[in-house]
Amino acid sequence: MSNRRPGNANRIRGPQSALTDFLAANNISAQQIRDDYNRRRQQAQQQAGADDEDAQPAAAQEDEEEAADDVPAPPPTTTNTRKRKRKDVEDEAIAKVKKGKEVDKKKQADKKKQKGKKKPKGSDDDSDDEYDDNLARDMYKKAPPAPGQLENCEICSKRFTVTPYTKTGPEGGLVCTPCGKELAAEAGPSKPKSKKAAGRPRRRKEESNKMDNLSILGAKTLQQMCIEKVADHHQDVEEFGDLPQTVLERLGEIFTKKRIMDPRTMKLFLRPDHDSIAIHDCAKLETEDYHTIFAVSPHVEKVVLRNTCQFKDETMEYMIEKGTKITYLQLYAANLISDAMWHKLFQQRGEKLETLKLQWLDASFEDEAVEEMVVHCPNLQRLKLKLCRRIGAPAIDSISRLTKLEHLSLRISQEVPCERLVNLIGNVGRNLRTLSLEHFPDADDTLLEAIHAECRNLTKFRLTENDYCTDAGFAALFADWANLPLLSADFSSTRDIDNNNPDGPEQAVGLADQGLAALMQHSGTKLRHLDIASCRHISHAAFTSVFDGRKQYPALGSINLSFCGNVDTVVVAGILKSCPALKKVIAFGCFNIEDVVVPRGVVLIGVPKARDFMIEQVGMEWVGLDAALGAMVEAVGAA
Amino acid sequence: MAQQSTDYVTLVSSDGFEFKLQRSAATVSGAIKRMLDPISNFTEAQTNTCTFENINGVVLEKVCEYLYYNEKHKNNKDVPDMDIPPELCLELLMAADFLDGESCTAVCLISNADTGLV
Repeated sequence: MSNRRPGNANRIRGPQSALTDFLAANNISAQQIRDDYNRRRQQAQQQAGADDEDAQPAAAQEDEEEAADDVPAPPPTTTNTRKRKRKDVEDEAIAKVKKGKEVDKKKQADKKKQKGKKKPKGSDDDSDDEYDDNLARDMYKKAPPAPGQLENCEICSKRFTVTPYTKTGPEGGLVCTPCGKELAAEAGPSKPKSKKAAGRPRRRKEESNKMDNLSILGAKTLQQMCIEKVADHHQDVEEFGDLPQTVLERLGEIFTKKRIMDPRTMKLFLRPDHDSIAIHDCAKLETEDYHTIFAVSPHVEKVVLRNTCQFKDETMEYMIEKGTKITYLQLYAANLISDAMWHKLFQQRGEKLETLKLQWLDASFEDEAVEEMVVHCPNLQRLKLKLCRRIGAPAIDSISRLTKLEHLSLRISQEVPCERLVNLIGNVGRNLRTLSLEHFPDADDTLLEAIHAECRNLTKFRLTENDYCTDAGFAALFADWANLPLLSADFSSTRDIDNNNPDGPEQAVGLADQGLAALMQHSGTKLRHLDIASCRHISHAAFTSVFDGRKQYPALGSINLSFCGNVDTVVVAGILKSCPALKKVIAFGCFNIEDVVVPRGVVLIGVPKARDFMIEQVGMEWVGLDAALGAMVEAVGAA
Repeated sequence: MAQQSTDYVTLVSSDGFEFKLQRSAATVSGAIKRMLDPISNFTEAQTNTCTFENINGVVLEKVCEYLYYNEKHKNNKDVPDMDIPPELCLELLMAADFLDGESCTAVCLISNADTGLV
């Protein structure tokens, strides 16, 4: 094909017709077509000949010389020409024989391949190349018209080369590549749509919404629906216009949830007049995207960037340079920032910082960085350091000197002796409104005593994953505590861990009977959220006396009772009666809860309903509290 | 010419379309509720008509559709989503924010993520 123009053009002689002219102009030559046709015919004949020879492979394989001798030689004219001719004929014959051999080999290989399903490959001497050839041949065989041949397209009637991928047209004939693509495009979109209409994922979505507290009863708000729709069509959005910042933040959260927060969509959220930027998942953002953030919105005061994998030293430098007004900084998983750069941040921008939340820092951020922070950030009111692997007890000592702290959340991976925590509370406890201490296994009753003595303003208190603090210690903490009632209390996983003695020691460890009673007496009037998951030593009697239906906890909206083994249907009924504002009860692993009838407006999560294995149960409109309790009494009585 | 508060109220869009709908449905929106509250003594409350200069007819129609949809599904669970044309989304979102649908069930994604079960 490559030599089509120059060689053949010379052969056309004499006057040219208009058609020939036109064809020539379009790079088509009649001669070429004729030649191609002849060549193809010859090839087909040769192929047939080879196949014939193939019928007697032994003969063909015997000897090349012999085969060559068999060819009748034309009468000699001169020795030279004779020799040359003979040579030509010989070559041709050799080529023929070789071809025959190849075909033969392929046939053998074919057979081997069929056997090969039982036999391991390579047991014989054939090479991988031959196998590849076979594969190719198999593909050839399957394609109905011989590939390489020309065919007229069924739709546009253009001539085209048939390939194994050539599509079949609507009439059963073959179509050329462009027409085939069009056909595919027409047929394409209808398929995925029909798949989407399947019912199951939809139901799963609904259940997930319930777990998220999204739709307890009634329709979603119009805002919610619009925001979800916008997220669905995120690729069509060019800009958000002047949407209010609150709506934008909500949009950002939904974009993150749907994992469509990428460099393009992120830019939609940037506006020069905004004072905050919150991207809850930056996993898809690159270094330059962070630069864009601070270039577009230099006035930001609140920066929330979570999962900032690509937040590097240079980014931090740029932020330090541009973001002069930052008061609120939350960076999660920013592991590419070096210690020196953390120091620089605190030195240059520390004074204005009021809130700092850092989480998941494994590679850097040492005790010295915390010290640097304390020295240069005197105005810190809110501090959260969780899962920062490299900080330990010295960091706690540094934090003790932050006297303006109002909110403190700590989760330290290294061991921290209890007296350091006592010292911390002694220094900063007085002003604290939030105290969250997760996973401090060495904390004991002395910490609780310190909190009892120092804290006056706590509204949120969390002390989790501890097996040292005793029930008596918790009771003493809440008894006559000068602190205001708590709004949120989380004492999950405070319990004794001893597999040989699952009921725990005589003197209960962790929040148990007395502790729960004292807590509810102290904070019951205001408490909104109670988490006592895995407080497994709370007895059934304690639950029924705390939630007896007469004592009222007017604010309690959500309660987590998971893995409290003593909770049963009676306890849940008591909770429903005692907490008029209740919205959500989480009770995973409470196997004594049976036949609960959930009243209107309440979600019960975690209790499997035997009938259809639904994990959560949503209260029905027609089931009032009294009706629910009545039904439950009947069910319990029957059992 | 103070009128009694009627069962039906009128919402008027910026381009003059009028939508008459039940008061109970319309007052799902915090803004409309306050506008029509007889105690406030606004003109809207007296005439039982709210005019929205910043919401056009197309969007307001969708808003009215939502108000009835919400009323209809008030006590149902697993409510199917209303059909919203994508091109209207952002405008509708603005309007929704302005009109302030009742009890925005704010989902605390973050708090949910943080208070994971142990």
